[in-house]
Amino acid sequence: MNEVIVAKNISKSYRDIKAVDNLSLSVEKGDFFGFLGPNGAGKTTTIRMLAGVLNPDKGTILINNHDVKDKQNVSKVIGVLSESRGFYDWMNGEEYLSFFAELYGIANKEQVISSLLEKVGLAERKHTAIGTYSRGMKQRLGLAKALINNPEILFLDEPTIGLDPQGQEDIQKLLKTLNQRGVTIFYSSHLLHEVSYLCSVIAVINEGRLVAKGTLNELQDQTGSKDLKNIFFALTNHK
Amino acid sequence: MKMFKYIWLKDLKAELYTWKSLAWLLVTSMIFSVIAYLLLTNRELSLLDHTEMLWLFGKIIIGSALLVVVIDASSLITSEFENETIEDLILTPLSVKDFVLGKLFASLTLWLLVYTVAVPYMVVISSGTKLMGAFLGYTALLGTIAVLGFTMFVFAVSFFYRSLKNTLTTSLTLLLALSIPALFSTTLKNNALAKILGSINPLDNIFSSLDNVLVDYKVSIAQNLTFIMPLVLFCVAMFVILIFSTKVFKRRGIIKG
Repeated sequence: MNEVIVAKNISKSYRDIKAVDNLSLSVEKGDFFGFLGPNGAGKTTTIRMLAGVLNPDKGTILINNHDVKDKQNVSKVIGVLSESRGFYDWMNGEEYLSFFAELYGIANKEQVISSLLEKVGLAERKHTAIGTYSRGMKQRLGLAKALINNPEILFLDEPTIGLDPQGQEDIQKLLKTLNQRGVTIFYSSHLLHEVSYLCSVIAVINEGRLVAKGTLNELQDQTGSKDLKNIFFALTNHK
Repeated sequence: MKMFKYIWLKDLKAELYTWKSLAWLLVTSMIFSVIAYLLLTNRELSLLDHTEMLWLFGKIIIGSALLVVVIDASSLITSEFENETIEDLILTPLSVKDFVLGKLFASLTLWLLVYTVAVPYMVVISSGTKLMGAFLGYTALLGTIAVLGFTMFVFAVSFFYRSLKNTLTTSLTLLLALSIPALFSTTLKNNALAKILGSINPLDNIFSSLDNVLVDYKVSIAQNLTFIMPLVLFCVAMFVILIFSTKVFKRRGIIKG
């Protein structure tokens, strides 16, 4: 057992609304961990707490055996493609990645940036201002930014949203390759076919609480449903 | 290499790419040109004493610079919140201290540029007096301390509100609240309460120090300590407020809740 993400009894409220309620989960090294839930279930809040940008009201989080508050150690091993995707529109793609490479202290940044731009299919548009990028291109750039520090753990919140089918397939292939190389991926998405294709372990959250976790087969056995859509509906009490 | 440097350079580039700094420099140079012209013509007509002219121009340089820096600084941190770029910055090893320091350097750079634009005007206006060095030196010293204090206040408010509109309104209100009494006539400043308020008002102390140097020829630092110390204390107070504000930000995280 080599757990790289461990959350114990974490809760988070926004004023009177309980976004995450006493949630405990663990992710093992090398897992492709699918994180599902209806809108407002607390997925983004959970990812933000696990990545250390939001403090839980209670509970503890360990990333690679470091407390998530230990920013210096945690930030080096995680990459995040978050829900809020703000960009410096006046920069071009290369400048944007270069800025983050400097913040992470990447030694051979030109080489890393060039390779990442190639991987996400933005090499030809690297000198174009981000303000002129389409939503899909920004999504690819965000993913490249998340990979800039060669992370061991990758948090992805709806990574393929806004991408065309070809773009979705390219990103899926890239993520598969990364996972095969040992990168642990925490993957939140509403695209259930994508989750069933990519993820080795799936967790379902509803109203801030973890309602199920296991492989697709285990979830099928638990719910008696065959496809992930029906499993999801069964676990989230969809009527 | 300290990480604040990357934030500083990024913000400098942003100011240049978006022509913001250049627009501010153009505006300030136009203000300085008009004021210098008016002052010099008054001087030629012997309507204004030379030292009074220097004092007025010093006030205008620092006043304009503070206005420009406060407006500009209001967007430095709030834009990271409003454009949702703060989350990606927090995820990096960048500390809040380096983040604030980088933004502070960006703000001080704008002050340095405004001051550089003002230097030729100051040289021309003070030519023929022995006060050129003192005029340049004290404007730089007092302006730098004031810019530092006001910028720290703006940043503290930015972390609290996280919105440009509210930060700008609050910061300009403070600047105006402190400017107006400083511009009152000597008669209005004669009662006890006005004297107490004047002694702690940073802008009042800047103007009094310039008066002390340029009109009364008291140019040594020791002779101006009574005015410089309240300014330094203002900076210390703003620093404490900023530290408190960043601690609240760290506790709350990126969402106010």
